[in-house]
Amino acid sequence: MPASDAPPVLECRDLVRRFGERTAVDHVSFSVAAGETYGLLGPNGAGKSTTIRLVCGLLARHGGAVRLAGQPIDARHPSAKAVVGYVPQDIALYPDLSAAENLRFFGRLYGLTGATLRGRVEEVLDLVDLADRAGDAVDTFSGGMKRRLNIAAGLLHRPELLVLDEPTVGVDPQSRHAILESVARLGREGMAVLYTTHYMEEAQRLCDRVGIIDHGRLVAEGTHRELVSLVAEQDRIVLGAGGDVGRLAERLERLEGVTGASAGDGTVQVLTTDARRLLPRVLEAAELAGAEVTSVEVVQPDLEAVFLHLTGSALRE
Amino acid sequence: MRAVLLIAAKDLRQRLRDRSALVLCFAAPLVISFLMASAFAGAEDLHVTVAVVDEDGADVSAALLATLGSDELADLLTVEAAADRAAAAAAVDDGDADAGLVIPAGFSAAATGGDAAELEVLARPDRTLSATVVRSIAEAVLAEVEATRTAVATALAAGAPLDALDRLAARARSAPDALALAQGELGGRELDLISYYAPGMAVFFALFAVGFTARSWWLEASQGTLDRMRAAPIDPRAVLAGKVLAVFVYTVASLGTVAVATSFAFGAHWGPAPAVAAIVVAMALAATALTALVIALTRTEQQADGLASLLTFALALLGGSFIFVGTAPALLRRLALLTPNGWALRGITDLSTGAPASAAVTPVIAIVAIAAAVAVAAAAVARRRAAA
Repeated sequence: MPASDAPPVLECRDLVRRFGERTAVDHVSFSVAAGETYGLLGPNGAGKSTTIRLVCGLLARHGGAVRLAGQPIDARHPSAKAVVGYVPQDIALYPDLSAAENLRFFGRLYGLTGATLRGRVEEVLDLVDLADRAGDAVDTFSGGMKRRLNIAAGLLHRPELLVLDEPTVGVDPQSRHAILESVARLGREGMAVLYTTHYMEEAQRLCDRVGIIDHGRLVAEGTHRELVSLVAEQDRIVLGAGGDVGRLAERLERLEGVTGASAGDGTVQVLTTDARRLLPRVLEAAELAGAEVTSVEVVQPDLEAVFLHLTGSALRE
Repeated sequence: MRAVLLIAAKDLRQRLRDRSALVLCFAAPLVISFLMASAFAGAEDLHVTVAVVDEDGADVSAALLATLGSDELADLLTVEAAADRAAAAAAVDDGDADAGLVIPAGFSAAATGGDAAELEVLARPDRTLSATVVRSIAEAVLAEVEATRTAVATALAAGAPLDALDRLAARARSAPDALALAQGELGGRELDLISYYAPGMAVFFALFAVGFTARSWWLEASQGTLDRMRAAPIDPRAVLAGKVLAVFVYTVASLGTVAVATSFAFGAHWGPAPAVAAIVVAMALAATALTALVIALTRTEQQADGLASLLTFALALLGGSFIFVGTAPALLRRLALLTPNGWALRGITDLSTGAPASAAVTPVIAIVAIAAAVAVAAAAVARRRAAA
């Protein structure tokens, strides 16, 4: 749990980054306290990775400021980046080098040497359960093993802040579970974590606080309870449907009692304060629209509902 | 600086594990320079066996046979008599002779009588050089006959007595040439082929390091390791500096290894070691600058591969890795001086033929100047792209 009176390990203020005419990060501000796991939740292209790259000093800012453990981060102060352990979305490892060689190289870049380096390499390999594969080339590893080693490389220098950019994308369920467990354990041990994802369930499971980001803007942030309270007691009806789901969503949005509707890949999500009362009318409207409903699910308020409520679109559109 | 060394060491470690890189920068220049020197040495040591049929059997044909079999041409020609044209043609076809020469009946009479004297040279299509040698020698003999005939005719027309005919002909034949050419040497030892092609190939293959590193830059960008390095608490410029330092070390190692190996294995002369080392170091600097330029001008691994390959072959062609620039047209010689490898080859060629170590000064300055200009261009392109 975060130590509420501790100064933030990461403080972002009014971050702006543009690519040509497009503003990828639009005045984003948030902070992460020591021991806190903060999630940036948003669909692909929302600006999560760009925000991470600004935090880690990999992209020049067009506005705003980043402070790591109180120090500003810019080209003149690269030492401030020692606070951060960066785990990129890609498998950022050298396939032709062994696991231990990869870790030694990145460890040395963070100033680790000699017995300290050797000790830390052994520790993180143990942590990700790869100690017996230390001498093997990374290109002989499975996808899940590479993902775990990718995280280990970010932990070598005992960072105060671990930054993980969608670490479970393309990972099998078993490895995904192992990664989430590892991150949760690091959080419990007091490490600050900045975690980006477009999986609502990961954000709900791991994060003390979540920032919801869409089109480069942080539209809301808070604890799970605080965010869910934004949609009051709204339920979410998820219809599996064939045909033109976009048109169906538009039609359902006009129904009385519906506060929002969004079409996804073969699904339509409807927000309402009383799903039980509205459900027959929703199904009737779908039938009138000629849509073939294949499944119906009523979901209690969650972050998906929050995102739909705040942005008018589903997380995985 | 520590980060620069770490990144350079990591790149070199990867390069040493890449067999294709090792073959291109170390084995290939040794093998190719040896093969090229061996191939062209055949042209330098040309020897022609000619099958001759003398159907004439008179003075001029005898003179021609005497010339072909003279001691002066012994290193170039071996004359073997053939019974008739068919036998000569068979010898050429079978490869027993490189060329055939048929002196038809009446050849001498025609030559001395002022009529067209025709010889027949037999050659296979793939041995035209041998035929050209035989034809040239025969034409030289005929030219001498024609000159003698003209001199005697002129003397007779001027009123010389007929009984002096033989004496006049002998004098005409023995008269010295009006113009004689002498071959001189500009000091030092003669440049042998392996001493030219060894550095030529070494420089050509060393330029492949430019492509390796530029490709690896964009590969690292796509796989995320470049970002992971830049996320570390190091000066962001250290990443590029480390990579170009690896190119520098790799180029020096490649050129140095080929120099030592070709000297001991094939007897190539590279010149005084300190002067050659200075040229090698300057050339490695040029390779690092070229690497930075390729990286600055490209955006993907494929683009870097294409541009680096184009640059490598263009520089090798213009700089003289494949052809001896000293005998090339003036334009090509001037273009070679715009390339760092052209200057490197020029410097090593001078050193290998006995020039003092100071002969390396101008090439080294020129190569470093070119490297500096390329580096400035790379920095300008990179700044412009960063600002965009």
